[in-house]
Amino acid sequence: MKRVSITPREDWQQKVESVGLVFHTLDNGDPYWDESAAYQFTAAEIDTLEAAGNELQTMCLAAAQHIIDNKRYAELEIPWAAIPAIEWAWQNEPPAIYGRFDVSWAGASSGHAPKLLEYNADTPTSLLEAAVVQWHWLKDMPESLVSSKPDQFSSIHEKLIAKWKDLDEYLSKPVYFAALDYPEDQLTTIYLRDTAHQAGLETLQMYMAEIGWNSELQAFLDPNEDQMFSIFKLYPWEAMLAEEFGPHALDTYQSVRWIEPIWKMLLSNKGILPILWELYPNHPNLLEAHFDSPGHMTSYVKKPLLSREGANITLVRPDTQAIETDGPYNGKRMVCQALAPDAVFNNVSGNPRYPVLGLWMVDQECCGLGIRESAGPITDNLSSFVPHFFV
Amino acid sequence: MKRSTQVAAPLLAAAAMAMLAGCKGPEMQRCVDENNKVVDDSFCHQPGQQRPDGHGGFIFVPMPYHYYYGGYGGYGLGSVVGGGSYTPTPGRAYSTTSRGGFGSSFSGGHGEGGGEGAGE
Repeated sequence: MKRVSITPREDWQQKVESVGLVFHTLDNGDPYWDESAAYQFTAAEIDTLEAAGNELQTMCLAAAQHIIDNKRYAELEIPWAAIPAIEWAWQNEPPAIYGRFDVSWAGASSGHAPKLLEYNADTPTSLLEAAVVQWHWLKDMPESLVSSKPDQFSSIHEKLIAKWKDLDEYLSKPVYFAALDYPEDQLTTIYLRDTAHQAGLETLQMYMAEIGWNSELQAFLDPNEDQMFSIFKLYPWEAMLAEEFGPHALDTYQSVRWIEPIWKMLLSNKGILPILWELYPNHPNLLEAHFDSPGHMTSYVKKPLLSREGANITLVRPDTQAIETDGPYNGKRMVCQALAPDAVFNNVSGNPRYPVLGLWMVDQECCGLGIRESAGPITDNLSSFVPHFFV
Repeated sequence: MKRSTQVAAPLLAAAAMAMLAGCKGPEMQRCVDENNKVVDDSFCHQPGQQRPDGHGGFIFVPMPYHYYYGGYGGYGLGSVVGGGSYTPTPGRAYSTTSRGGFGSSFSGGHGEGGGEGAGE
């Protein structure tokens, strides 16, 4: 694994826009889509990442089963009212499409295995960057850089279409796709809808706020008053449950196919990290983790059960001042997770860049890689997406 | 090979182009049928039809047309729209349906990647 500097394609902004990425530049003017560099892997390293993703998925499903069997919901601050729906969904296996493991790794030469940082199992984004934009980027790369048979760990697109085809007979149509009115959320949702459409499913799209509740019918209705039975929502379950219609979603859970299903709350919660460590102590793909306090650890990250975008993270190392980020999650329950082995690469100016490797799971199978990179050790909303290839 | 053989995402690309062109929000309003195909505006002015119910009476059959706002697809008759949203059909009764019960938690500054939203 190495970071190589590349001259960006001429008119790269128009090129990525033409395949769907309009949010390619951050508010501060820096590129979010950063093709001034790429990460190069060996085929063996990609095999290692793929195996890690599949292993983590197996462990996470076992951890979810453990939480349910042992009623450990309170430790994850799961609302008690959601428990019947979670248990029903776990038993009846309604459709689940995708998720993204974030892992830290510096390649085979580091001598370490990829380490799980967290699992974005409910509302992962950076999907179209990994599935579409970097695929087109690789097509444009010269042989002098990527060899005559360039490859990339990204069959996300094909896997999504195949998954929708599998689900066709289990989903009432149309399948609704709902998200907030932000470009990233809208385009991610449109991309998923696009894959469902290509699989032959009838689809419609709307905003989250347009979902209606009819108390007489005890049903969710679309803006045209048609009942909604199949809904993909790019919106986290913990937010849905805290909002006005949350109780209705729970009461009617068995008659609506929500994607992702509500049991994903168990995995998208940082509380899964100490539970995984408890079930699989010293597993090479895990970092030591505990609820609330660091225990004996002197180098660790403290993060809330449900934080987003690097908010309210505290990074502690001995003999150095702790790094803290702001956010709205103060006072919430925390987990402490050991620091991952260093994964730092210098850019062409000699400044450090910290990559986080997103391993994409579709239909329980690891099928893609997308890399977010930051100037510091905490991935935040100023991070950029850097493409990859392997030889 | 571990990469997709072919990646084509026409709905995504069209939606991105529409966003860049500013075709978003209520300024682009079209009447569409149940397949999201643009039809003449007059169809959306018809609330429905009275049809015999077989027992000497009539039933009200709503028309399958509604307005579609924003997104891509233009105004051309027969073109397929998407990426936007639709609103209640004028003339129909919606008194018992409430809306806005989802979507209020992220008023800005949340999410990951592009910076805002509910994804991560």
